[in-house]
Amino acid sequence: MKIINKNIPWHFLTLFILFSLCAGLWVATKKIDYTWRWNRVPQYFIYHDEELIPIPFDGVVASLSNLGDQTQIKVVSEQGEEKTFTVDSNAVEVSEGEDLFQGDYLGAVFEWRAGPLLKGLWVTLWISAVASIFGMIIGLVTGLCRVANNPTLRSLSITYIELIRGTPLLVQIFIFYFFLGTVLDISRIVAGISALAIFAGAYVAEIIRAGIQSIPKGQMEAARSLGMNVPQAMVYIILPQAFKRTLPPLAGQFISLIKDSSLVSIIAITDLTKSGREVITSTFATFEIWFVVAFLYLMLTSVLSQVIAWVERRLSVSD
Amino acid sequence: MIKTVDLKKTFIGRGQTVHAVDGVSAHIKPSEVVVIIGPSGSGKSTYLRCLNGLESSTSGKIEIEGVDLTSKKTDLNRVRREVGMVFQQFNLFPHKTVLQNIVLAQQVVRKRKDAEAEEKGRMLLEKVGIAEKEHEYPIRLSGGQQQRVAIARALAMDPKIMLFDEPTSALDPEMVGEVLEVMKQLAREGMTMVVVTHEMGFAREVADRVLFMDQGKLVEEGTPEHFFTAPKEERTKAFLRQVL
Repeated sequence: MKIINKNIPWHFLTLFILFSLCAGLWVATKKIDYTWRWNRVPQYFIYHDEELIPIPFDGVVASLSNLGDQTQIKVVSEQGEEKTFTVDSNAVEVSEGEDLFQGDYLGAVFEWRAGPLLKGLWVTLWISAVASIFGMIIGLVTGLCRVANNPTLRSLSITYIELIRGTPLLVQIFIFYFFLGTVLDISRIVAGISALAIFAGAYVAEIIRAGIQSIPKGQMEAARSLGMNVPQAMVYIILPQAFKRTLPPLAGQFISLIKDSSLVSIIAITDLTKSGREVITSTFATFEIWFVVAFLYLMLTSVLSQVIAWVERRLSVSD
Repeated sequence: MIKTVDLKKTFIGRGQTVHAVDGVSAHIKPSEVVVIIGPSGSGKSTYLRCLNGLESSTSGKIEIEGVDLTSKKTDLNRVRREVGMVFQQFNLFPHKTVLQNIVLAQQVVRKRKDAEAEEKGRMLLEKVGIAEKEHEYPIRLSGGQQQRVAIARALAMDPKIMLFDEPTSALDPEMVGEVLEVMKQLAREGMTMVVVTHEMGFAREVADRVLFMDQGKLVEEGTPEHFFTAPKEERTKAFLRQVL
């Protein structure tokens, strides 16, 4: 209890500093005469879409039957063809016996639809997830090659790692899209995901290598002395321990990957960043949208760090 | 059972050549307990590690139960199943519980069923006197307990030969006794054992034969009685004056 009491003034100071920073931001935007329009933002997450239903031929409304929220409209064409449409009851635009021409609206159906920000968030999420999985596989294989006895495997993995770590991700994405995309005829999504996965793989490989090398030599010797071969010793003894040790740096790497995925917007993949840019062109709510986009990225990354912290806690039972 | 002929192991590194094992010929018979002693850096550990292929020999011959270890055709993993090893630093698997440590290799290498492996594991833990610790992780055991688990882990593979590489050197003095006790029991049961140790008392009491190594060479060998009372070589006498 005493320790907590002693810290309370400091917590207040922290809150005060954060509050001052926010206030400063607010004052600064006041000065440039910016009108905040937060009310424009929600419709880009989810919106109520109205779909108008037209009649496909010239004809007559034969009957209307109300089924509560929805209404069934039966229409008959001049040739005697019958068709039934369902529209929302509060959006019926015709009455019984009315003559209609082809293309006239019978009514409308309303539906909730995901807006561009939600769609972009989803694209970012699955692109990052797929790239992470492949990045992990590539990194694991390369990391194992990096510590292998075979000189060719070692040299190849070092070349790959140096090549990828030494060039900017943005340039790699361009090369994947414009060069490999053209030569191998792959789509922009595949090009984007490959660039991200191969980029992450190089860093993961070094993390895995460091993890493997941090396990004392005696562990491998003990496993071998029990008759296990190298793959068995790796799978059962070395990698589980290495994985546990490398979890914090791996978490950092995958959080980076989520953020780096924003770069694929440059090759016209409609991820969260590109969706944000598109929404800005139609709302001019530049500040609001970028803040929202940043917050959404923050949500993705903090969920990931929570998950990894949970795994870390679970693995720490043997400490 | 174990036969080495003119075994040599040379380490080359940073322009230096070290003859760690320099022409050791020895023959260890079934059920024999052989203790190897010698000063630090005399090559006794390296010699022991050659016996299960943890170090590959530079030249010479090693035969374990008639299988030539130096031949390229020999499957080392098959030989290692039959040769248990206990390390100075225990080398228990820290991410596995005590029982899992003992069960894992039985399942992976010997392809035993879970129940069979666990039964064997519990029986061996009973034998080394720590049955109640089966669900603990190694980090929570004392050094002596860890080393006894390591012995149980090696025994679980039903080895025909046990190698001990300074099993008590990393232990607090009061824990040495409990580990030596387990080893003595093994010796009484007729296990073939090669022990590298600084425990002269153990050598005197348990060994059938003592090998004294210095600078990679086998200087003198004989029964403990001969060795501790009437050593022939000057180097042996000098060493014994230091340690006794």
